[in-house]
Amino acid sequence: MGYDAIVIGGGHNGLVTAAYLARAGKKVLVLERRPRVGGAAVTEEIFPGFKFSMFSYVVSLLRPEIIRDLDLPRHGLHILPLESTVTPMENGDYLAAWADHDETRRELYRHSPRDAEAYDEYGRLMHFMAQAVKPILGMVPPDPTSFAPGDLVSLLKLGKHFRGLGGERLHALVKLMTMSSADFLDEWFETDVLKATKSASGIIGTFLGPRSPGTAYVLLHHYMGELDGVFRAWGFAKGGTGAVSEAIASAARVFGAEIRCDASVARVNVKDGRVTGVVLENGDDLAADIVVSSLDPRRTFLQLLEPNELPPEFVADIKRFKFRGSSGKVNLALDALPSLTCMPGVGRQHRGAFSISPSLDYVEQAYDDAKYGEFSRRPYMDIVFPSMIDPGMAPPGKHVMSIFVQYAPYHLNGGWTDAKREAFGDAVVNAVECFAPGFKSHILHRQVLTPLDIERITGLSEGNIFAGELALHQLFFLRPAPGWAKFATPVRGFYQSGSGTHPGGGIMGASGRLAAFRILKDGR
Amino acid sequence: MTQSRYDAIVIGAGVNGLVAAHYLARAGRRVLVVEREANPNPSFDIGWVPPQVVRDLDLERHGMRFTESDPWIAAPLEGGGRLELSRDLDRSVEAIRRISPADAAQWPDFCTRMRRLAAVLERLYVVPPPDIESRDPRELARIAGLGLYVRRLGKQTIIDLARVLPMSIAELLDDWFESDALKGILGAVGVWHLKQGPRSGGTAFNFLHHHVGSPIGVFRPPVSNIGSVLSDLPGIEVLRGQEAVATHGPDGRLIGVMVGPSGDTIEAPVVVSSEDPRSALEHLKPILDPEFVRAVDNIKYRGVVARGTLVWQGPTSFTNLCVAPSLEYLERAYDAAKYGRDSERPYVELRAEDGRIDVHVQYVPFRHDDSNPDRQRTLRAAVVAVVAPHVPEIKTAESRLVLQCPDQLDLTEGHLYHGELTLDQILFMRPVPGWSRYRTPLDGLYLCGAGTHPGGGIAGAAGRNAARVILKETKRS
Repeated sequence: MGYDAIVIGGGHNGLVTAAYLARAGKKVLVLERRPRVGGAAVTEEIFPGFKFSMFSYVVSLLRPEIIRDLDLPRHGLHILPLESTVTPMENGDYLAAWADHDETRRELYRHSPRDAEAYDEYGRLMHFMAQAVKPILGMVPPDPTSFAPGDLVSLLKLGKHFRGLGGERLHALVKLMTMSSADFLDEWFETDVLKATKSASGIIGTFLGPRSPGTAYVLLHHYMGELDGVFRAWGFAKGGTGAVSEAIASAARVFGAEIRCDASVARVNVKDGRVTGVVLENGDDLAADIVVSSLDPRRTFLQLLEPNELPPEFVADIKRFKFRGSSGKVNLALDALPSLTCMPGVGRQHRGAFSISPSLDYVEQAYDDAKYGEFSRRPYMDIVFPSMIDPGMAPPGKHVMSIFVQYAPYHLNGGWTDAKREAFGDAVVNAVECFAPGFKSHILHRQVLTPLDIERITGLSEGNIFAGELALHQLFFLRPAPGWAKFATPVRGFYQSGSGTHPGGGIMGASGRLAAFRILKDGR
Repeated sequence: MTQSRYDAIVIGAGVNGLVAAHYLARAGRRVLVVEREANPNPSFDIGWVPPQVVRDLDLERHGMRFTESDPWIAAPLEGGGRLELSRDLDRSVEAIRRISPADAAQWPDFCTRMRRLAAVLERLYVVPPPDIESRDPRELARIAGLGLYVRRLGKQTIIDLARVLPMSIAELLDDWFESDALKGILGAVGVWHLKQGPRSGGTAFNFLHHHVGSPIGVFRPPVSNIGSVLSDLPGIEVLRGQEAVATHGPDGRLIGVMVGPSGDTIEAPVVVSSEDPRSALEHLKPILDPEFVRAVDNIKYRGVVARGTLVWQGPTSFTNLCVAPSLEYLERAYDAAKYGRDSERPYVELRAEDGRIDVHVQYVPFRHDDSNPDRQRTLRAAVVAVVAPHVPEIKTAESRLVLQCPDQLDLTEGHLYHGELTLDQILFMRPVPGWSRYRTPLDGLYLCGAGTHPGGGIAGAAGRNAARVILKETKRS
């Protein structure tokens, strides 16, 4: 029984590729190593009655065209908006951003009238910039070293697009591509806690601090989220992020794709520079003319293939591709919600995020620890309570709390051990306790995930949540390697579709979709 | 209307100001240079002098010389001894082999690749930056020509350019080398005059910027006497010991310059300031577009280098000595600066010449209490503490070491290059986005200092580029 295409990895990008290929009439098989699809977008009942979006926990970057093309709402995708962000400060005050724009403005005004004025203009600029970059997310990166007419036309179009932005916005784009988020925000705002909270979007998933150049781009990357046409809207998927994966999987199945879980691929078969199929860990040999890997570049090229099947300089480029996982996750089951000193009690603030980013120096110092191989003693944290929005996530009266933590370096001094993992968990819980005294006594269960755990469970190399750092020299036509950023690989019939390819990162699905288009185009 | 005596007045008799003045004079313009200092500064100039400047102004005939020390750098090694890198590639390879055979094998290839990238910058630096917003067919043709030039360099160079420029110097060096001492020597250039550590993106660009004009395998900029040669070069009138600011009439049009303390006005249709952009424009703020003013205020200066001199009789065991034993050492030195503190163990570089030692100390972030004697004392002790293990004689000289912190350097925020050379402040973004062609919103007022393209550490390129733009845009009166 042969397949037209085999997709390795049932994460959201693999599933998106499979769905698009199946939709085009291909006979597709998805192979997932774990017992369930989703990769890093999974919902699991870690403790009886308590369900967690184990890794990735918010949704916003998922491309609207994918939602539309695959008709995901019909397959159960339902996004609930995340309404607010509260940043507790060390002096007992707070900074809040609410769903209501005017209320947010008043809140900002309390901290700085000037910043309240600048806020709208800043929002407009970022919105515009995100719009301006959006077409790039949907395009195959042209190769600037190539003289092929297609690449030249693409490059010219790109040049025209950027010139069309006009001077002021073009300059803003250059700044966003090159500056640190702290410097970029400095040009707009004076309130430290505001800059700290905003700059946090610029460090997520990177091994950089808010004062490191390159983080302004990540800031912009996170502005590209679009839900129901509303930019910069973040939300939860009902049922957790696993529900997003399940919806895509369901769409793929309806189009005729077959999805096999507990099916770990040992290697990809290559004959005379052409892919012929895959071999599973259990010894099964499956033939296909097209094989797509949605794993990260390191695993795709250095594990699934033999080095002699690839050009040596390409192997060197892939080895150079940086992962450096820096994020951890702590999932807690609670019998009561934490009460913040700065905003006591339980209320609407729990329907949004708590950002533990009281000052730029706080976040920068968290990075300093990581730079020298330690986890942050006082980490940056993004905290949400999914059970407040989707009560199905926890037993009645109880709650789940998701803490995204930075920094936890993959390469910890002395390596990660069980004791170190618990020490890291303690540091996280203690840091929350500082802003919400008494919170620790409400913890029923605790799951601590280090980058090493993320790597072990999801397969993401070094636990990098973007399947490769979103650094300027690892983007666009350089992602994952120069000359091979168009989803094809040096092995004919073998393609890549994971977040380690353009545009990468977040539950976006753009890579998976572009890869499918490329495969279909090559097949014609 | 009275005829002005001058076609152009240049403010500041630094290298860029004098180069601009001479280019204008050569084209027949009557030029006056006004300089605040009464006497020319006799010190040496560090940085590439584009060959075009040397040739056009016939500087060699007037005595311009480069000082080429060999070895170009020495760095103490942890186990004793020094790593000395020579102008001769083979000798450097031998020296590196003693600490790392793997690095020695990489050295020639690394040097070739970096030289090739620096050559691209050299080409970009001797012309005004590409105006990417322009609709002028001539400018578009020029940009296309640049594009074609880059594409002709071959695939590897294009990829290197795209990949290396935004990188951190640490990432770049870790790709090539294993030796901490070697990476320290090279990494130090990557952070020169930047409030960034070696792990910050864009420091690889800074490294290449300071490689322009150097021969292959030499990663310290050339040293020349161009400043004193220019000061003695005939053909222009120089008024010394006078402050000057550009001045405008009630209608907001440029009149000329006002010289202090008398407040006399000297008229000219063109004023060229070689000061840094903020100083040059400060007093004009009320008549300038607020968006432009905001952009000028947003220029990042952030000086982080203290400069010192030490009078030194007798021989030294080095010509150039670099104390930056590893990338991590540099990164830790930077950490303090992030929070506004001086490095406890700073990166120090010493250069011996003519009975004195010039000292570069980084990171010493700009603060307003720079003249605080406690700060001076702590800093001096820190310099001696990191240098003494390698140059024991310095201990006896501690009291003679005169350090100038950024605030004492008489430069805006103590920044030698009139603004940091970060990726968001180069090419068409320098000095401010949209105004990179030496012009300002005040008609007739031009900038030609290190704050403009191609920036500091390059002697005379900005002055020449600016003069050529001015000659094209203004008619002789």
